[in-house]
Amino acid sequence: MKCKKCGAGAVIELRRHNTAFCALDFLAFFRNQVREAVRHYRMLAREEQVLVAVSGGKDSLALWDVLIGEGYATTGLYLDLGIFEYSEESKAKCRAFADGRGVPLLVSAVADEVGAPVPVIKEVTRRPPCSGCGLSKRYLLNRVALEGGFPVVATGHNLDDEAATLFGSVMHWQMESLPRQSPALPASHPKLVRRVKPLYRLSEQETAAYAFLRKIDYIVDECPFAKGATSIAHKEILNRMEAASPGAKHSFLFGFLDRARGAFARTEDITLNECARCGQVTTGTLCAFCRLADQVKRSAKTLDPRA
Amino acid sequence: MRSNRRVKDILHELGIIPETVLVIAGDALITLDHVVREDETIELRPVMSGGAGREV
Repeated sequence: MKCKKCGAGAVIELRRHNTAFCALDFLAFFRNQVREAVRHYRMLAREEQVLVAVSGGKDSLALWDVLIGEGYATTGLYLDLGIFEYSEESKAKCRAFADGRGVPLLVSAVADEVGAPVPVIKEVTRRPPCSGCGLSKRYLLNRVALEGGFPVVATGHNLDDEAATLFGSVMHWQMESLPRQSPALPASHPKLVRRVKPLYRLSEQETAAYAFLRKIDYIVDECPFAKGATSIAHKEILNRMEAASPGAKHSFLFGFLDRARGAFARTEDITLNECARCGQVTTGTLCAFCRLADQVKRSAKTLDPRA
Repeated sequence: MRSNRRVKDILHELGIIPETVLVIAGDALITLDHVVREDETIELRPVMSGGAGREV
């Protein structure tokens, strides 16, 4: 197979684009897709300090690599979930990446903030581990960005992630989630930081190929708690559709963003308050994160009355 | 490996959708039409990730 651009040997075939690229032309294609995402949604301004949420996986490190290459002033933020060796290894990958490129990395530990790591939160809440983990991540990303004076947080969500989230929302007609699904979420409150997803035009395989070709040392193993996650099941369904009809995921997501999302816009504004305890944004009196921390604290007392 | 076969046929036999893996030979990515020699080793590296990391 030959590169459609230069005729050299191809290293990757992109069936949904009916094309194939050599390594150099693929890397150029990848960066162009990120530039187009940033341009289309006006995600980032040149002078802005960008906080990049990094997990040690292929997507977030590929994103950080591209943004550094594009000349953005970036700082990484690693959220330590406390998931045994998995967290230790992924944190080490982030640190090695940051040290190798001379860029700053912040680390925030869920256990320090909530009172327990994700495996304990899972036991305390008796809910799927991804639930407490996702809640903690959303909260801490915003809070760390706010406290550090970052106007924007960039995450490594790719096309497959976004299509799977949309699929899940549609499957259950989650009317509150659909209008929020966007590659760029504005700061709808002074205490909410803008969030952007510059990889939303690129598939999971493309981000993996970019990370491989750029020799980025990322954690290949998946989070041990992700096994059986609904998002994985949705991705598998979409992958089967993609195999039968290349471009299916792209059409599904881009059709929604370009033509359908507006139809789900909220007709009434939601009132946003500041949490009575931590001051972060919530629709109630006490935010979900503080309620989770309370639950963890109560449970610790039950287990150990001295706690 | 029984005989020289294309990557595409190997993935099909294993029931793996091509878009869900990177196919690596040595330190290079290879495409579906690459013929894998009997004595050649290839790595099929999954690309899927999921869980709460995706919901941030």
